[in-house]
Amino acid sequence: MSSTETKQSVAPSATDRDERIQRVSFWKRALNRPELGALAGAVLVIAFFIVSASGTGMFTPAGIVNFLEVAAQLGIIATAAALLMIGGEFDLSIGSMIGLAGILIAIPAVEYGWPLWAAILLAFACAGLVGWINGNLVNKTGLPSFIVTLGFLFILRGLAIGVSRLLTGRTQIGGIQEHIPGDWFASLFSGEVATGLFSWMAANGWIATNFAGNPVVSGIPVSIVWWFGLTAVATWVLLCTPYGNWIFASGGDANAARNSGVPVHRVKISLFMFTAFSATIFACIQVMDTGSADTIRGLLKELEAIIAVVIGGALLTGGYGSAIGAALGALIFGMVQMGIFYTGVNTDWFQVFLGVMLLVAVLFNNYMRKKAMEAR
Amino acid sequence: MTTQTPMIEMRSVSKHFGSVIALSNISMKVYSGEVMCLLGDNGAGKSTLIKTLSGVHQPTHGDMLLDGKPARFKSPAYALDAGIATVFQDLAMVPLMSITRNFFMGREPTIGWGPLKRIDWKYADRIAKEEMARIGIDVRDPSQPVGTLSGGERQCVAIARAVYFGAKVLILDEPTSALGVKQASVVLRYIARARADGLAVIFITHNVHHAYPVADAFTLLSRGGSLGSFRKEEISREEVLNMMAGGAELENLDAELAEFQRNDRERKADGAPAPGHSESVAAAGHADAPAGERLASDR
Amino acid sequence: MTRLSHWFLASAATAALMAGTAAQAQAPQQDTSRFVMVTHGVPSDPFWSVVKNGAEAAADLVGAELEYRAPSTFDMARMQQLVQAAVASRPDGLILSFTDENALGSVVQNAVDNDIPVITINSGGDAARKYGARLHVGQSEYEAGKQAAERMQELGVKKGVCVNHEQGNQGLDQRCDGFVDGFNGNAEQLATTYDPTNIRNAIVAYLNEHNDVRGVLTLGALSAEPMIQAMREQGATDMFTLGTFDLSPGILKALDAGDLDFAIDQQQYMQGYLPVIFLDQFVKNGLLPAGDVATGPGFVTRENASQVIKLSSQGIR
Repeated sequence: MSSTETKQSVAPSATDRDERIQRVSFWKRALNRPELGALAGAVLVIAFFIVSASGTGMFTPAGIVNFLEVAAQLGIIATAAALLMIGGEFDLSIGSMIGLAGILIAIPAVEYGWPLWAAILLAFACAGLVGWINGNLVNKTGLPSFIVTLGFLFILRGLAIGVSRLLTGRTQIGGIQEHIPGDWFASLFSGEVATGLFSWMAANGWIATNFAGNPVVSGIPVSIVWWFGLTAVATWVLLCTPYGNWIFASGGDANAARNSGVPVHRVKISLFMFTAFSATIFACIQVMDTGSADTIRGLLKELEAIIAVVIGGALLTGGYGSAIGAALGALIFGMVQMGIFYTGVNTDWFQVFLGVMLLVAVLFNNYMRKKAMEAR
Repeated sequence: MTTQTPMIEMRSVSKHFGSVIALSNISMKVYSGEVMCLLGDNGAGKSTLIKTLSGVHQPTHGDMLLDGKPARFKSPAYALDAGIATVFQDLAMVPLMSITRNFFMGREPTIGWGPLKRIDWKYADRIAKEEMARIGIDVRDPSQPVGTLSGGERQCVAIARAVYFGAKVLILDEPTSALGVKQASVVLRYIARARADGLAVIFITHNVHHAYPVADAFTLLSRGGSLGSFRKEEISREEVLNMMAGGAELENLDAELAEFQRNDRERKADGAPAPGHSESVAAAGHADAPAGERLASDR
Repeated sequence: MTRLSHWFLASAATAALMAGTAAQAQAPQQDTSRFVMVTHGVPSDPFWSVVKNGAEAAADLVGAELEYRAPSTFDMARMQQLVQAAVASRPDGLILSFTDENALGSVVQNAVDNDIPVITINSGGDAARKYGARLHVGQSEYEAGKQAAERMQELGVKKGVCVNHEQGNQGLDQRCDGFVDGFNGNAEQLATTYDPTNIRNAIVAYLNEHNDVRGVLTLGALSAEPMIQAMREQGATDMFTLGTFDLSPGILKALDAGDLDFAIDQQQYMQGYLPVIFLDQFVKNGLLPAGDVATGPGFVTRENASQVIKLSSQGIR
């Protein structure tokens, strides 16, 4: 768009011109969004399973909740990882933080009789501290966050194992479910919502029964609610708030942002804290759900989160991406992970299948984005 | 004209870094509605001078006056608050972000209250569009990434932003050095407009050909000292060029090139052909503008 | 400056701390023996913490010094390096889980050549004998899997599924192979990841697609608890015959409640405890049992579950 060209294109009537602007910017906006490719990838994956898993239970309410739950848990940490990656940093300690947070919830509650809400608050406090340290180390040293958080990947996992072995002699702590009833804070992370609606639908015969002869879906797992909620909030923050603008600016060019008065350091610290918090939310949900904490929980989740964010159209170099894209990335990941059980493929080939599907989704995503850029 | 108070004035400002004297005894007055061109070769002290003006460095000796009142800036933020906006060469722009997002980066207009406080996009887009239109750039979609703009347009966004946020003094560090002729003219036109709006503009450049058309006054720097300030009517373009450290050098260069040419001609006469070679050297030797551009492009 | 001094203090403190532990490790009294135990169990696996507890208790009892080492992920190459390092440190006895003959055969040979008595635990007893290992304390994984299948068939199951959360682990693969063979091929393997939600939802998805499968076997506490939870959620515990390897507080509670039909216990505490006692006797008096010690498979069911619960919470079963 050169200046001479645009001057010629100035239309005489103001209202006329406004209409033209509206139309052009709508298309540009749609094609310009980072999540476009991920949406295309998700559609492709859904189409693949509709064909290859037709007649199976994958797209029944139960099947959908089944893979959505896996996607939701990943989506919770992917949202935070997306904000952080847009802000120009990585956090490789998310997975280990999940393991540690679970232990921090379980040990005080089960071994020392703390109320569950206090144990959860303890986990959140420790997560905040870890995020704060991560952020400060990255800010102060100027080292790549890749290296700094890699250190915490080992430190946090080691702490989880060391602490639980020291205090309990075990690496798995069970018996948490008994503590949940009556604890309003813990109930935020456990159970299902809209159970009434689903039992009503089952009573009307709108929901099929499962292998055990029960209504297949008794409600929406709380993890899915958290996932949608966090994605919505993160999208709002990114698109509508000054803080969101600062995240883009910090990731796009930290120096430029600083010169324009953006508190880059504070933005990065808060983003690292948010990833640690999201890992703790993940841990809470899983601990309440399974009734036990295990030091191995969250293994490789940091990688899955980054994969979901990148499938979602974010740039590894920062400054570009979206929370909705990360949610779509998590959806693709969850769908592929669970989908193999419906396709009849021998599960010996599980990882090959997972890898191929992800690759196809990413390549298609990339292709769509290129097409979109050409169309502009 | 000279009866009014200068917008910004430097009185015998010196800046020392340990034993190195980066600036010595610089005096300069810039009035509102005036463009002061700061000329000088590499190492003349231009960067130090801008950084002193914009609050990055504090002067070792001497005073700075803003609108007649003594001013001392502890950091660039203080200078910015006082109305001194500096557009550095990196422009403080994020290419992946939209024009509006860049325009309001760090100073986003908000509406709403509490957790619902949000950026007023309608207002922000309108202002960004208007401000760009004021300088003759019609932005069809202010949500398009800055990376899609040309270098000159980007420079203009940076300047427009500084002006919009209440700059009284605008310092432009080599705004045209990386630009082609057409792009440079866009920026120069905008500098003229900023002057018309009553800003005091300090325009740093290597390139006399860019400086001369828009400047009202020149200050020439050489090796940390000032060669003096001149009103435009007191000095011609050639004089400015000669006074710059490069002026004498360029004369020598011309002489050397002429020498090469002569040698070539002799060789040709001896029967050893060097086809096309001599012509291209001659062309480079005679045209001042490319030489100036070449100087400007090395930072 | 202050930062520098902090840094200095911190490194000094760390150095002091490390020197302390090193002094502890390197200065045993003349008459205490030093045994090294190397296992393939990742430190976070609840099964192996019990083995470690047993070994530590035995070492305390006989006054020997015990070093426990394990790779942080399931990695045979890393395990091989750990055993080599252990041999190089010239312990009075070496205890290791012999999961992979190809990776560990030569290092066991090396230990034996250096007059270090070797006892294998957990898996791979027969193979290790070839390389000069003295004794095996453990159970045959394949046999245990087969017995699980037989138990399920006794309970009326026609078709079963074996949930493998760590494909590529020879021990776990053998359990599943035994299970599938025990069913004469009327069983399948279901590969999952470590993630409990993933395991649970994979089991639910699989069972929804395979209506005739009525027996589910998991290979450890890691996958058993998500399975039990899925069954409870669906109210389907009575519909299926559910079995698992290993014990954990959660598994024992499920046994006690009748939600789980059986757990195969290999009494892994003994796999830690006994080798230390044996090696101590061998070093002191030259005594060693003449044959391998089978610590399992033993079936824990509802009948004997309650008595095991207490021990399990103490990390003994």
